[in-house]
This record gives sequence, C-alpha cells and structure tokens, in this order.
Amino acid sequence: MIQRFLDPAVLAGISSLDLVAKTVVDGFISGLHESPDFGFSQEFAEYRQYVPGDDLRHVDWNVYARTDRTYLKRFKGETNTLLTILLDTSKSMKYGSGKMEKLEYAKFLAASLVYLAHLQRDATGIVVFDEDVRNFVPPSSRQGQMMRLMHTIDAAVPGESSRTDFTKPFSHVVDFLRKRSMVVAISDFWEDPETVIKAVGPIRARGSELVLFHVLDPQEIVPKIKGSALYEDLETGARLQVSSSYAQREYKDKMEAHLEGIKTKATSAGIDYFLCDTSKPLDASLRKYLAIRTGRL
Amino acid sequence: MGLFSPWFLGGLFAVGLPVWLHLLKRSKEDPQLFPSLMFFEHRETSSVMHRRIDYLLLFLLRAAMLILLALLFAHPFIRQSSAAQRGDRLTVVAVDRSFSMRTKEGSSTRLDLAKEEAQKVLAGVPTGTKAQVVALSGILEAMTQQISDPNELRAAIAAVKEGDSRADFGVLARYLRTLREQADIPLEVHLISDLQKSAQPAGFADLRLDDGTKLVLHPIGKAAPNWSVESVNAPARLYDPKTVRINATIAGFNAPAATRNVSLILNGKTVGSKQVMVDANGRGSVEFVGLEATYGYNKCEIKIDSTDSLAADDRYVFSVERTDPKKVLFIDDGRHPKSQKFFAAALTSDPDSEFSVDVLRPEVAANANYSNYTLAVLSEPSNMPAPLTAALQRYVEQGGGLMVAVGVDSVALSKVPVMDVPIQGTKLATRSGERFWSIGDFDQNHQVLKNLDHMNGVKFYQSVTLGTDKANVLARLSDGSPLVLERRVGEGFVLAYAASFDERQNDLPYKPIYVPFVQDAVKYLGGGGVNQPVNVQVDSAVELRAGVQNQGVSAEVLDPDGNRVLSLEESASAPSAMLTKEGFYDVKTAAGRRLLVATHADRRESDLTVMEPETQELWSSTGGSVDTGKNPAKAGVNADSTPWSLAPYILVLLLLVALAESVIANRYLRSSIHTEETIKA
Repeated sequence: MIQRFLDPAVLAGISSLDLVAKTVVDGFISGLHESPDFGFSQEFAEYRQYVPGDDLRHVDWNVYARTDRTYLKRFKGETNTLLTILLDTSKSMKYGSGKMEKLEYAKFLAASLVYLAHLQRDATGIVVFDEDVRNFVPPSSRQGQMMRLMHTIDAAVPGESSRTDFTKPFSHVVDFLRKRSMVVAISDFWEDPETVIKAVGPIRARGSELVLFHVLDPQEIVPKIKGSALYEDLETGARLQVSSSYAQREYKDKMEAHLEGIKTKATSAGIDYFLCDTSKPLDASLRKYLAIRTGRL
Repeated sequence: MGLFSPWFLGGLFAVGLPVWLHLLKRSKEDPQLFPSLMFFEHRETSSVMHRRIDYLLLFLLRAAMLILLALLFAHPFIRQSSAAQRGDRLTVVAVDRSFSMRTKEGSSTRLDLAKEEAQKVLAGVPTGTKAQVVALSGILEAMTQQISDPNELRAAIAAVKEGDSRADFGVLARYLRTLREQADIPLEVHLISDLQKSAQPAGFADLRLDDGTKLVLHPIGKAAPNWSVESVNAPARLYDPKTVRINATIAGFNAPAATRNVSLILNGKTVGSKQVMVDANGRGSVEFVGLEATYGYNKCEIKIDSTDSLAADDRYVFSVERTDPKKVLFIDDGRHPKSQKFFAAALTSDPDSEFSVDVLRPEVAANANYSNYTLAVLSEPSNMPAPLTAALQRYVEQGGGLMVAVGVDSVALSKVPVMDVPIQGTKLATRSGERFWSIGDFDQNHQVLKNLDHMNGVKFYQSVTLGTDKANVLARLSDGSPLVLERRVGEGFVLAYAASFDERQNDLPYKPIYVPFVQDAVKYLGGGGVNQPVNVQVDSAVELRAGVQNQGVSAEVLDPDGNRVLSLEESASAPSAMLTKEGFYDVKTAAGRRLLVATHADRRESDLTVMEPETQELWSSTGGSVDTGKNPAKAGVNADSTPWSLAPYILVLLLLVALAESVIANRYLRSSIHTEETIKA
C-alpha cells in the first residue's frame, strides 16, 4: 500500500527538498522546522530588556553582572510541526478525464506529504471530509502513525450523495487546533471563493499556517467539447446541454475568474494557494510547492 | 416512369426520424459526467444550433433505407413497349368437338364444317406467327403447343375427333385468361363452334376475357328441331323380371308436337316398342313393364325413331343387373333365440322382400360360401373362432356387408369383429341414476336411420360402450354412448349396433320402427359394397380402388369400342377412371368386382339453340381489341405499353442498404463499447 502511494520516483524527488514551515509554532524538537516562538534552544537569537512579568529564569545573569542591567536571553526555537491534512472526498473529486481521477491525485499528494512529515518526525493528522467529516486521525508522531494515516487515505472513497461543504470540516479542525500548526487542504474547491475563504479563515486567525492545494482536471479548466454534449453534474445529478462555443469562451472566462478569485482572496488572507493540474506529474507539483516555501523562508 | 401508389410517397417524411436520431436523440442518450455545472448556463437553442450530424455514413444509409422503403410501397414502374407494338401475337384456334357437333348439316357433320373453317382461319394467319390448336369439349385439350409450323397446325385440326362430352365455354375462357397471363402476349382467338346456348356457364362473368384477347366467333350450323331420349328410369338391379318397370322421357327441342316410336332394346334385341306423343318443345313419357333379362349385367337401350339431324341422342343406354333374391347369413350361437326371431320377422315382414335369412352357428359359418350371401349378420357374438373372423374380414374387404349386434354377451370380446373398435364395457341406466336413456345425437340423413323418426319413444336400459376412434358414429344415446356405428373396411361396410336384437337391453323390438331399422340396414349393407352408379353421364368417373388399398392389384376398364382406357401403370395405381364416351364400359375394380357401366351424353347437348347475338357480341368485346401489328399507333392504351415494375430491384437495393447499415452500425457500436471500456480501465 505504501508502495502504491509513495512511488519511489516521486519520493526521490521530494526527499531532496526541505519542508520548511513558514511559521514556527510550538515546537519542541530541534530540527528542520524553525519555530516562530523563542524558547529553549541552542541557537542564540537576541537579547531583550526585562520587563516586569517576564520569567526570571530567562534572565541572563552574566550580562546583569557586567552591566547591572537585566536582559533576557532569547534563542531560536527549533521544534516539530503539527501537520493536519484535509482531504476532500466529495463526488466531484471522482472526476477524471484522463487516466487519473482527481481523488486519486489528491490521495497521492496527501500520502507524499504524510511521508515527508514522517521523515522529519512531525506530528501528522488527517481529516477526510465531504459534506461532513468522514474520518479523522488526530496529529501524532507516535510510532505507527504513518501507517494509520496511509490506511485512512487509502480507505477514503466518495460517498453516494456526498457533496462538498467546507464549513463543518474546517470548524472541526478549528476545535482541535489548540496549538499553532500547519493545515493543508486538498480539494477541488467547487464553491464560491468567498465561501471558501470564509470557511478556512478561522484557522488562519488562530495563527496556523494554511495551504490550499486546488486539484483540478484539465477538462475542468478548459472543457474540450466536440459539437455539443449533455453534461451531468456529479454531485447534484442535474443535466445541461452544453455547446463547444460556450465552453471555449464563457466557461473559460468564468473559470479563470474563479481561480483568480480564490488565489487573490487566499493570498490576501495569508493563505498559500497552489493549483494542481492532474495532468502534471505529482512530484513536480510538490517540488514547486516546497521550492516556493523554502524561498519565502 | 410512374407510380402505382403515389400516396405512399408520404412515407418520405419518415426520413426525419434518422435526422432526429443523429441530431437530438444521441446527445440526450449519452450524458457526460462533469464535476460541477456551476459555470454552465442553460442555452438549449444555441446548443442545438451547433449540433452536427454524427456518423454521417450511418445517417445516409438509414435515410436511404427509408426512402427506398417509401418508394417500394409507392410501387414505381416504367412503361415499356408491349408485344402488340412489336407486332407479336398468338393465334388460338378452338374447335368445338362436343356431342352436339355430331349434328348433320347436309352430308357433313358440324365438326367437319368446323374443321374446314379452322383450316381457313389458319390459312389467314401470317407466316411465322405463333398459333395453337385446342379442342373444346368437357375439358380443353391442347392439340399443339404454341408453334408457327402451318403443317403441324393443319394436322392437329384434322386430328380433332367427335366427342360425347358437353361443351363449356367457361372452360375456354378460363384457359384463355391463364394463357394471357402466362404468355404476356396479345391473343387472337377463333372459336369455331355451334355456339350452343347450353354451353354457357352459369354466370356471364365466367366468360370474361382479359385485355389483349380478341375473340372471333365462327358459328357453325343453326338452331334445328331435335328429339332425344332425355332420361330413363330403370333399376340397376332386378330380381323379378316380370314386375320391373322402365320409364323413359322423350323431349323435343325447337320441335313441333310429334308422335315417336319408342323401342326397348335388350342386349341388341328389341323386346318392346311403344308410341309416345311429344308436345311441341315439350316432353312425353313411356313405361315398359317387365324385362326378361339374363342373369348378370344386361346392355339395355331406349331408342326412338327420329329423322332429326342429331341422331346420336335418339338412343339412351343403361345397364341392368339381374340377380336372385339375396340371402342374409345370420350367425348366432343360439343362446338368445329371440334375437333371431325378432330379426327374421322384421326382415321378411314385407311379402316382396328381396332377402331371405339363413341361420348358421359360428363354428359352421367359418366354412360357409360367402359368395352366396349379400350380407352377414353377427348376433351378439361372445366367442369368435379365428377362421370365422378371417372369413368375415375377407368377405367385407371384397365388398360384402356385415352387421354386428354388440350385446351384453359380446363384452367377452375385446373388439368388435372386423370393425376393430374396442368394446369397453356395459352400462345400466339405473346405476346412472336414470330409469332409462333415450336417443341423443342422430344422423337423420343416413340411409339406415332416415325412416326411424329419430327413434322417439324408444327406451334404452342397458348399453354396451364402444370405442369411436376408427368408426363414424351415426347415433348416440342421451348419455353420449355410441349406439350405431359405421366403418368402411376395404370395399365393404360394417355396421355395429350396440345392443342385442331382442328386447333385453331396450324396447326397440316392440316398436314399429324396428322393422324399417332392420330392413334399411340390410338394404344398405346388402347393396354389394360401395354403391357405384352404373348409369352415368359422359365425363363421370368410376372408382377402381378405395384409397390406398389394393395398390398394385390391376384394375381394368374397357371402353365401348373395346379399347383399354388405362395404361399399365394406371391400372395398378389409378383410384378411378374417367368415362368419356357414350356406351357401355366393362369395369373390373381392383377388388375383383365386375361392373357394366352405361354412359350417356349430357342431354343439354340435345338443345341446339344458339347463343343470342347480343351475348356473342358482348362476349367478344370483353377482351378489348388487339392490334394486328400492322398499325401499332392505333393500338389501345392497355395494349400499347406494359408497366415494368421496379419493385424487385428496389427491394434488392433495400436489402443491400440494410446489410450495409447493420455492418456500419455494428462497427460504431463496437468502437463505442471499446472506448467506454478503455475509460473504465
């Protein structure tokens, strides 16, 4: 099963990159992730003048002896990151015009992220959702966690009447996010951008890092229709007669506006947004993502 | 180019069906799944506008199929030049050789004159034109094929001989209609006949000729006074030569009142002569009493002296068989003496009865000489010695009659002797909750039962149940049990009566109808097998063998001239023979019976009245006119051109297109399935 998700060719490319979090949260183990907080660590960060209320244990008494001033010695805190993956399994994710469905692509992406996090000993969890939370594995770095996550990812299938609803799963995540962490949402985001950002906003507000992977089939971005075709909505079952001219012009414009809307609103809300084309190799998407994050750090 | 049924071209609108299938239907039948339609809008009109015809070849084939189908129903045709325009025609010379053509016209008969006229007609036929000679009588005899050899045609006319049959113009018209249909060529028909009115069929429609048939009538002779012996009423068998009565009717056609001498001739010797007054265009009858015929068949004849032109109908032949009073063999074991007493009393109650009864025990009857008996009666048999069964079987198959009274004692047997129907048991009316049964189904028209007044009032207390799978049931009791059954075995008949002859099972012996029941049954069975008439009209048939029996056994028929009628093969297999001449036929059936059958011509031939001129003209005009080829431009429309139907060619084309459509559609279907499987994989 691991072999299925973690294709060696994919993992070979990903292992050479560092997964560097933008925001360091409550980390304890020094490692690759840089904590956003100062704390106990080996690497010095700065001195700060004592103000009443500071913990006296952090006062650098040597400096006080030399200068008779009280300064607090601060270190860069290196810690393990809490990574939570939100995987959308709504019926629309079952679509695929080529050999790979969107859900399959999303599973590979999630598994790759889990594996990378495991290599860095990050506590990882997952939430499988559609219109409700279907499965939830809390973040943990215990032994066997990776296998549990892999089983969970593998078992994720779209339900019979499942439709996407971001409100419930994201509020669920907000409930258990007591620490600042990193949340990765993988979905096709067939929803109004305003609604999406509104649903994920509370996570960002708590100081957690949020990354949106927008998984789309190339046929969804620009449908290629010969003549006319009868389309049936995967989630609602509604049918509509569609002509090629409409798909080539008006639909394309609407889709571009939709993608731009999500991207703009996400960026303005401090959310990372990445569009994943299922026709592109998975490792390329990850590599691009990690390169971007590294560069930002 | 034309159309027989142009309204069917409305079917061309059906071409819209494949258009609909290829433009609309297909897209609605194959919806494509899509994650979300939130960016699509409902624009039906613009969508339809952009639809294109898919599978263009398949569409064209389907449209072609419908067009061809509509054309096929419209039945298109092309006019092509007819045989008349090409100058082709077939001349048919029909010579009447019926009985009336024996009439003398001067020193020649009408047939001689007809043949001369036919030769003249043939002389007028252009060289190279095909012609056919046919002889008309009761049947139509083609004397030649459709040939253009004048010598052969003339020889065929010369070979036409006098006949004794009655002419029927309906037969000729039917033949000409068939010929016109098959030959598809104009006919010019010359009928050379005395055009008797009596030769017309019952309805004028039977004389109708198809278009393209030109009828030219050549009347021979004219109406002339004629007297004939119209009918003779004489018994086929006589037992007492002194009491036999022979009635003859003499008729005059177009003749004044006259007195005629009538002679009765027996075996070539005149045995009686009388005079009869025949009214003008009327009839007179004469009766002869007594006929000292010899034993066996006798050739008899009624003859009148007449000076009319048709002498052949002045005599009327008939056959009479003289036999002794017939003996009835009553086979009885003596256990119920009343049966014999009742039966014999009923049979001999008439002083003039032609039957006498001989009683024999079963064990003695096996060795009896059955040729002395006209009928055998088995009274309530309870034990049938094998030799007796075999003797009775042989006797019946050769034309003898057998009557079996199946009484209560006969239940010991499994089957009714000779008749071979099973005896299933006995029934008592009282055990069925009834005091007695009455008669149920009853064949009132059968010769045995016609004088029994439906057996009203007869009470049946007990019956013997018989199987009915092989026999005809003539009467049943009210509970459905068969009472009287009949079966033909070989040339004879077996009659089974499901009761005894005495009063133990019913009260029939006490009823007056018991006498006619016994007498009619004996007369019916004692007639000597199948009652073949021995005095018949010409063109009647005589039966030589019953069904498939006696196949391979030779039968023989000698005509009045002493010639064999049947070939060697026919004598071994023919079921019957046609009697076509007037006179006496010696017939030996396959079963060995000998008959002397007298045949006389149909007396309607004696009426020499000619068809009315109006009728002749009307008949000639039914076939339309036929161009002789000299002036094709004057030919009628119907004869000008023949519609040449294109339907067979369209049908073949339709089949080919349907085949191509199946192949193409199958190919598209396979590729579609393959694509779906690939996507699923």
